[in-house]
Amino acid sequence: MSETRVVPRFALEEAPIERLEAASLPLPLPLPLVPPPAAGAGTLGLAASGAALLVLGLAVLVVGNFVAAQFDRAAWLGWLTLGIATAGFGLIAASIGGELRGLLGLRRVDHLRLALADPARARGAALAWLDTLAEGAALRPALAAAEAPEAIAALLRAGPVAALRAQSDALGRAAALQVFAAAAAVPSPALDGLLVAWRGARLVRQVAALHGLRPGTLGTLALLRRVALAAAGVVATDLALDAATRAVLSNPLLRHVAGEVAGAGVAARRMVVLARVTAAACSPLQ
Amino acid sequence: MLIPRRTLRVGVTGLARAGKTVLLTSIAGNLLAAGAGLPTLPALAARLGGRSLRIRLAPAGADALPRFDHAAHLAALAADPPHWPARTDAVSLLAFDLDVGRATPGLPPRRLRLELLDYPGEWLLDLPMLAQDFAAWSRAALHRLEPYAEAAGFLGFVRGLPVAAPRDEVLAATGHHLYRAALRRLRDDRGLAMLQPGRFLMPAPGGAPPWLGFFPCAGSGPLAGLLRERFDRYCAEVRHSLAAPVFGGIDRLVVLADLLSALHAGAEPFADAAAALGAVAGALRWRRRLPFLPAWLPFVPGIARVAYVASKADHVAERQRGNLAALVSRLTEVPRADTAADTDTAAVAVAAVRCTEDVVWTLEGHPVSAVRGRVAGAARAGRSYPGEVPDRPPDAAFWAHPFLALPDFEPMRLPLGGRAGVPHIGVDTLLDFLVGDRL
Ligand SMILES: Nc1nc2c(ncn2[C@@H]2O[C@H](COP(=O)(O)OP(=O)(O)O)[C@@H](O)[C@H]2O)c(=O)[nH]1
Ligand SMILES: [Mg+2]
Repeated sequence: MSETRVVPRFALEEAPIERLEAASLPLPLPLPLVPPPAAGAGTLGLAASGAALLVLGLAVLVVGNFVAAQFDRAAWLGWLTLGIATAGFGLIAASIGGELRGLLGLRRVDHLRLALADPARARGAALAWLDTLAEGAALRPALAAAEAPEAIAALLRAGPVAALRAQSDALGRAAALQVFAAAAAVPSPALDGLLVAWRGARLVRQVAALHGLRPGTLGTLALLRRVALAAAGVVATDLALDAATRAVLSNPLLRHVAGEVAGAGVAARRMVVLARVTAAACSPLQ
Repeated sequence: MLIPRRTLRVGVTGLARAGKTVLLTSIAGNLLAAGAGLPTLPALAARLGGRSLRIRLAPAGADALPRFDHAAHLAALAADPPHWPARTDAVSLLAFDLDVGRATPGLPPRRLRLELLDYPGEWLLDLPMLAQDFAAWSRAALHRLEPYAEAAGFLGFVRGLPVAAPRDEVLAATGHHLYRAALRRLRDDRGLAMLQPGRFLMPAPGGAPPWLGFFPCAGSGPLAGLLRERFDRYCAEVRHSLAAPVFGGIDRLVVLADLLSALHAGAEPFADAAAALGAVAGALRWRRRLPFLPAWLPFVPGIARVAYVASKADHVAERQRGNLAALVSRLTEVPRADTAADTDTAAVAVAAVRCTEDVVWTLEGHPVSAVRGRVAGAARAGRSYPGEVPDRPPDAAFWAHPFLALPDFEPMRLPLGGRAGVPHIGVDTLLDFLVGDRL
């Protein structure tokens, strides 16, 4: 036994709380590390990339030609055309950059997970992660004292991970409420589905943003894939989770859910579950 | 053509309040959810390795035993605010029909009937008596009562009996009532567990036959002769009833012990609980399957597997749960379920219905692993660090500090009102140990 004996005790916290839920616990199943998507896996992907390159490359060539032609007509016309072309392509480049950054952010979660499991790197990784969080500073002294990766993980779990999960839950509940309320006002079931799909995708991005990720469109798709994988690893707390998983798995969450909405209650419940699974997918710890 | 179902009967036993009813409720909820395809029992799923599993409640048919009312107990746990299952004293049975898919496609599923029997642990304490004669048992029982004021009246009566006391019904009845009252008070006021015979505290259904009216007595006169006859008859009945159709045919046994509460009760009650557990473990060692028959032979009567379980393990944090399992393992001289593979005895720490989450609590500048749960009636979270759980029988230094009482935490929310399982710790490991070899 340790030399410094801590006196046993029991204490009531001040704030009232809801009943505990199993999902907010460290789960017995380790969350599978999401495998990085196999590079160049699909011929379809290759074809799509080729098509994009052709469209973009040819567009550059055509526009280049056009600019040159304009310069031949008049210098001022040439400069104006060049300016417009640069601005246009700049915006496209910026969006591609954003997408790439979003995808890299997802990669970062994987790296963080690996680092946190490694005794040599755990503390550094944890401190780095805290820096990206709004209320991370409070935990720094405690982290500095912790040694083993398990202790560090426990600290993170008790602090920021729990807080993030609570905030994700709140986002999920808010979305659920909106869906529930809006579904009553929407005239047709088809629109119902659209509403759920739109709100679901938005929710996924909100929760991701909470975790310091800013996925673009591609990033969101990658995130949905992750969410599906994470759902498979998370011990289901709810039959609805199963449904949500299936919906997300056959990805166009959008399309599938639309066909499946049985009632606003189900949809609302799904939002809560979706928020939770997304949080699990974005968190470096489970 | 239907292949007949093979029955596997698991006795779940433990002293009153050890957590039998709650464990059976959790097993029912989680098995039914697992049968619906939910991953509530990971260890069992790992054992199945992708094979299919269908689980239904078995029809009661014309069974002799009352059914365990799992639906009512689950509903109580799922309610808002939740209740613990009502106190039960009667023996009851929970039965499932399992269809287990096979690895080889095309073969029909393996059909199994799994029965779980709520068996009062008090009766288990009768097992060590079977190895003793009346004189030896009397000596030991009287010796155990000696330190307690609660037993003074009875001890005075026994010591005051003349050596040649006659075979007198009234004398026997008086002594019996005094003894019974002393046992009851030692259990209720002192928290003692090692109190024999068990049927004095937990009577079997039906009336009390005359042979029940005995008490420990040191003499060798005619009265002692009567008491010995009754004692011998009692032992014969116990031996017989273990094999009887109602309580018998137990293939696997779970012995539950609330060691955390015993740690709180103090050195003496803990030593007593430890003695009870040790005695049961000792008695079961020779009660089990006949040693010269190979274990794989079907239809060999006897208890093939015994799990010693420390219950309510969610009152302490992860590392301490490890200590708790180690403590049971030391007290029963049985290997831990998570370290030894394929043994016929195992020690585990289990929370049938999880009420808490682990937290790191900084106390006096030290991070300690504590638990946090919602306190029943208060709607607020309580943090509890009841003390360090020893991983071996505690020494005098341990008792210098109190081990705190277990707070009244509320069970976690049951997903989908219990239809999607019950949050637990280690129930899957326990089930895998008990029935894994038949799946
Ligand atoms: N925290 C916690 N408390 C439990 C657990 N199991 C049982 N209890 C408590 O122990 C009490 C007695 O349990 P019960 O199953 O009725 O005991 P029985 O007399 O052996 O059937 C319950 O009312 C609960 O308060 C558990 O897994 N966790
Ligand atoms: Mg009971």
